[in-house]
Amino acid sequence: MEFEFRRRDYGAENDSQLLPRSRAEKHPLSSTLVSRQQQAKTVRGSNLDFFDPLRGLDANASEEDKIEDNSLSIEAVTQDLIKEWKSLKRILMQRFPVSKLFFYFTQSAVEHPSAVSHLDEPGSEHTSLEETAKMISQQDYLAKVHELRDGITCAWQAEDRVTSLKLSIKVTKLLMDTTVLQFYPTVFVVVTDMLDMLGEMVWERIKEKAEHDVDGTMICALLMISASKQEKLAIIGFAKLVLYENFSLACKASVNNSFLTLLTLLLSYFWPLVSANSYLELAILPCWRFLINRPVEVLDRLVMMVRGLADPLASLYCRLYMVHRMQKLGFCNSGYLIKCIKDIEAVLAPVIVDKDGYSYITDDKKLLFSLMEPPIEYIVKCLLLSGRQENNVLGMLEELGFGRNKSHSSTNSSRVSILLHYLLKELPSELVSSKATEILHMIKYSNDCSFSQILNYRLLGNRLCEGRDHPGFLSSLINEVIQVASQYQTLYDYLRIMDAYVDLLLQNKMENHLDALLDDIATLARDKFLSEEEQASLQSIFLKLLSHFEDLQEVLPLNHFIEILDLMSGTSKISVNMHLLNMGTRNGCISDPTTVQLLFEVSQALYDATDFLNIKDDDNLQTAHLISHFVEMVDYGAEMERHLMFLAECREAFNGIHELKETLVRSSNTLAVKALKAGKKHTNFIKSCLAFSEVTIPSVSTPTKLLNLYLETAEVALLGGLISHSDGLVMSAVESLENIEATDGLKSIDGDSIASVVCKLCSLLVIVPGNPEKGVMEILKRIFSATCSSSWAMPRLKVKIFCAIISLSSTLSQEKLPYRSANPEIIGNDVLFFGDTSYKNELVSWTQLVVGELVDAIEQESSQIARGNIALEACNCISSALVMNEKVSQLCLRLLETAEGCLGAKDRYLESTKKSLQL
Amino acid sequence: MVLVLALGDLHVPHRAADLPPKFKSMLVPGKIQHIICTGNLCIKEIHDYLKTICPDLHIVRGEFDEDARYPENKTLTIGQFKLGLCHGHQVIPWGDLDSLAMLQRQLDVDILVTGHTHQFTAYKHEGGVVINPGSATGAYSSINQEVNPSFVLMDIDGLRVVVYVYELIDGEVKVDKIDFKKTSTSNSAP
Amino acid sequence: MATTVNVKLSRSNRIYRSSEPVEGKIVIKSPTSISHGVIRLSVNGSVNLQVRGGSAGVIESFYGVIKPIQIVKKTIEIRTSGKIAPGTTEIPFSVNLREPRENIVEKFYETFHGTNINIQYLLTADIPRGYLHKPLSATMEFIIESGRVDLPERPIPPEMVIFYITQDTQRHPLLPEIKTGGFRVTGKIATQCSLQDPLSGELTVETSSVPITSIDIHLLRVESIIVGERIITETSLIQSTQIADGDVCRNMTLPIYVLLPRLLMCPSVFAGPFSVEFKVCITISFKSKLAKAQPKSDPTAPRLWMALERLPLELVRTKRDQFSC
Repeated sequence: MEFEFRRRDYGAENDSQLLPRSRAEKHPLSSTLVSRQQQAKTVRGSNLDFFDPLRGLDANASEEDKIEDNSLSIEAVTQDLIKEWKSLKRILMQRFPVSKLFFYFTQSAVEHPSAVSHLDEPGSEHTSLEETAKMISQQDYLAKVHELRDGITCAWQAEDRVTSLKLSIKVTKLLMDTTVLQFYPTVFVVVTDMLDMLGEMVWERIKEKAEHDVDGTMICALLMISASKQEKLAIIGFAKLVLYENFSLACKASVNNSFLTLLTLLLSYFWPLVSANSYLELAILPCWRFLINRPVEVLDRLVMMVRGLADPLASLYCRLYMVHRMQKLGFCNSGYLIKCIKDIEAVLAPVIVDKDGYSYITDDKKLLFSLMEPPIEYIVKCLLLSGRQENNVLGMLEELGFGRNKSHSSTNSSRVSILLHYLLKELPSELVSSKATEILHMIKYSNDCSFSQILNYRLLGNRLCEGRDHPGFLSSLINEVIQVASQYQTLYDYLRIMDAYVDLLLQNKMENHLDALLDDIATLARDKFLSEEEQASLQSIFLKLLSHFEDLQEVLPLNHFIEILDLMSGTSKISVNMHLLNMGTRNGCISDPTTVQLLFEVSQALYDATDFLNIKDDDNLQTAHLISHFVEMVDYGAEMERHLMFLAECREAFNGIHELKETLVRSSNTLAVKALKAGKKHTNFIKSCLAFSEVTIPSVSTPTKLLNLYLETAEVALLGGLISHSDGLVMSAVESLENIEATDGLKSIDGDSIASVVCKLCSLLVIVPGNPEKGVMEILKRIFSATCSSSWAMPRLKVKIFCAIISLSSTLSQEKLPYRSANPEIIGNDVLFFGDTSYKNELVSWTQLVVGELVDAIEQESSQIARGNIALEACNCISSALVMNEKVSQLCLRLLETAEGCLGAKDRYLESTKKSLQL
Repeated sequence: MVLVLALGDLHVPHRAADLPPKFKSMLVPGKIQHIICTGNLCIKEIHDYLKTICPDLHIVRGEFDEDARYPENKTLTIGQFKLGLCHGHQVIPWGDLDSLAMLQRQLDVDILVTGHTHQFTAYKHEGGVVINPGSATGAYSSINQEVNPSFVLMDIDGLRVVVYVYELIDGEVKVDKIDFKKTSTSNSAP
Repeated sequence: MATTVNVKLSRSNRIYRSSEPVEGKIVIKSPTSISHGVIRLSVNGSVNLQVRGGSAGVIESFYGVIKPIQIVKKTIEIRTSGKIAPGTTEIPFSVNLREPRENIVEKFYETFHGTNINIQYLLTADIPRGYLHKPLSATMEFIIESGRVDLPERPIPPEMVIFYITQDTQRHPLLPEIKTGGFRVTGKIATQCSLQDPLSGELTVETSSVPITSIDIHLLRVESIIVGERIITETSLIQSTQIADGDVCRNMTLPIYVLLPRLLMCPSVFAGPFSVEFKVCITISFKSKLAKAQPKSDPTAPRLWMALERLPLELVRTKRDQFSC
């Protein structure tokens, strides 16, 4: 029995199934509904409302921020600072890494005669460092320090607290040695960790003692903060007892009560050195909470005590440790920090002035100051945090003598620039804004070697940018900055300063200043070779300009813009060019010829700077993408010929960019469709577009893309009624399908997407008139044989394609095709072969052949589930294409059996298929 | 009440520069719970734009989509409905009801959303619904160069779906609605 | 298990005033029952004076032969003879050091352990057990602190002495560069100081042409004993505390803060046969090659590269110091 195609009347079927539609007066996107919904949403408050990040913060939000700023709790501050301390330690270790090349000279033990008399007691030697003057490597040195730390813990755990204390004193002595500057931060971190540990152990011990009296009864709960006044008194009293009154007994009975020994010794006897004194007292600082209510007196004394350390670096780091331990005390007070900072200034003053008598800093001062930066930053940070917490930043600054220059002569307001830098860095931005003029003057007068003045000017600019509202005097301020900057003469310094102010100029629309700035740059840069740093600074400024303006049209007229751009080169230029290109293409079509020309040149420069053929990295990919996007966005409007020429230019200019080929083809196709819409007179132009595409497509490398582009171009040709073109293109598509293996033997081929394109091709063939000369079945046959012989087509994909061919055959056999080309010149096969029985017979016999292969392909599928599914797919396809006669129903039943065997009877796909077959 | 936006075949930037501004002004963030997209976006920028309207975005791959992560077909369940999504260039012939019904059976869905023809259609077929939201940008199609931009918004509420069709005809947005109910048996086994 | 006897005092710190009764218990732990005679507790307080070596070396004949001064010696009966059951037995006691109407010759000096002078108070419990067994006994030291009612209030403010240290105040020769270059260090320090409080004050380096290497505060103890017609004085360094390390900033005030080691100190005493006094010595060391060549010696001895200032220090007990449990 022969196959027979099922009759279809597409139009009538569609009409009968159409869902009725009616005009909707109200719909979910209409504005009345919108407002109601939004109200509902705000009431519920559960949905995330979207805020446009560019809209800017409304007044309420900023108000809340301010409130939050003012109500900094001690806990929050302490938490912050604990985090800060951790990161500081990391920074210290990272910025000043221990190099294996350095050698370290250990100091002689005889640092101080009185120290020796107390420390050199028998029994403490075995764990001590080898202290004769000799040279050891830093690694060994650190190993010994760690050994000492272990010694402290061991001794403490063995209740030998005196030994652990003695070792701690030895450890602190290491901090007095600043011979190898580079190594100091590492030693500091290691040693202070050790001291923190010791402090912790002492604290725990006292706590334990304070919570239980000698007989083990609880005296009172600890934690002073929550204790009532009387409880506090009790604790204080007890701690006093522990610490002082028991002294003599403790010493006598040290075997029983070594803890007491420790503390009393700690507080007096074994502390001959000011360094050890300071550090150890700082280590046990939190224990003062047991003793006194107001730790301020202790703080004041400690601040003064540290002054006894003369070495600038050692004393600064000791102050750093002090500030760190102060947080452990749970106590914030800007008073002692101000004193601390004043002391730092006093210590630094002679170092900066560089008089004779300070010759012991023979190392590069730069290194010294770089070592000083992290501690100063940390201390200043703490100062401002506690200032904010006390809500008295301004008063605090005044106490520091900050911003009082009006009444003083200029020299008096000079500050150590390194301190000024970190103060400025940490100041609240409102204060920076309101005090900007004073700060600027302070920077002007603080020109010392401890920190670069240029960077301070820069920082002021950056800080001003952070502020939300800018002072009214901004214009005169920036005038002054520009003046200051131009005094530097070199372009690099000028750029470094002004870079920070560009955003301010832009935000406040200060065109005059911007012009002046660009003028200055052009003058300074003209006829010079720009160094890499200068390029980088220029790049930064230009990127700010570009990201500020919405449209390229606003940027290009800027003073000297193109001139300065031409001065740039290398990576900076590439970066600026990429931004230019990005900017030019992000706002829709580009139609202005000069802009197109500029961007074309920019693209060319980028293209020339990149090796597309050999290196494929992400940067290249981005450049390629930008250039493609640019080509896509160019639109000459009615000047379509010009546009096509442009595409041709691009093809030549950017030959190495694969991605662009697709863009070119698709743009030329779009152009053709546009011409088509414009009317009949453009036939020649459409032909040129198609020719352009036809020439360009073969250089596309990915097989799927190649196929897709052939098909799209063929579609366009059909829309244009150019049958010879479409025939050629469809043929090329088929050829490329046949060639997939030959060309891409080694590459992995995306079979799924090829199969999906082949399906598309089949659907397209519905409107491609058959060519009687070559045979109506020519193309179908070639697709079929290409699929059969291909290696990319898995059985699953073969089934898909064979089904497509069967469906297509069925469609082609209908008396009226479901769709036809929009162009009336293209005549469908239904008209072309109307009443031609040989045509139908060929389709039927052809389908028989395909069905055979289809069944074979199903058998080849190895996966059970896949086999079941493709069997159902084939069954659906056959039952929909063919009239259900005996042969067909047998075939379908066989396929259903296969599917049932693979998937089981309960499979929903199987059930629904059976249902559709009315079985 | 769940709002599902269905759209596709944008072909940006090749066949169209962007969505029509009138559509863009309607599609504000925060209203729509799901977006289903029939593919052919074609660039990432459109993907990102859709994400801003609603982060719950489902896309299938059209033949011009670069992003290989988009699947060929996709199904998702919203409320009582199971939705299937496919671009539709693989359907032979394009937009054929019988062929779509096959796909519907394969995916086992109540509502099948496909594209490719750039022509809004909505059919009831074999107990299910087949919807094509058209091209949201009005890009030319294989068989037609004059296309009206359109998209679809489905309001799914219990067993009822109201399909709103937004079409831009001569510069004006026209909205039609189609109302249908799911018969509770349609999804159960025969 | 052997039988043990311990004296346990009511106060864990064992500090009592002379006017207070010393209370506690005798703790006897024994595996068997014990027959005993009258249990007695004796209190013995004395000043032991010793002369050994040092500055007294010339009078070898006196070495160690000075008779101790008895402060208190009394014995009380705690329990009449009887039997103690096996296990732990606690016998409480209370001893008045000074009966209200009792006339005691010597003052109750505060407990003190020095180089040559030792003031010590001991409690001894004796349990005689007949002739067949060794008597059991235990001794415990307790601490006496001045218990007089008329103790001075804490001096407010503590008496401060202002000092100047310059090249001209030095009585010993200085290196020529120090002498000619000149220096000036000023400050103030409390010379009367409560035992409880730290020794406090401040110090400022105003000028110094030669860099300073160290500034130290030394505590000195001066013990004097009258032996016959002579006074034998022993000065010992109790403690050194560095307050500056290196060439400190000029005109920056440094704190002087020294916690007093209670064990080695006591309120200054001027008794008939002996006295205990204290001194504070401020030393400023200048940078010099000589200093390195000659390390390890008495840090308070005058040197060419050092400036010194010695000040008397009177330690007192104030009312605030009193602590009662």
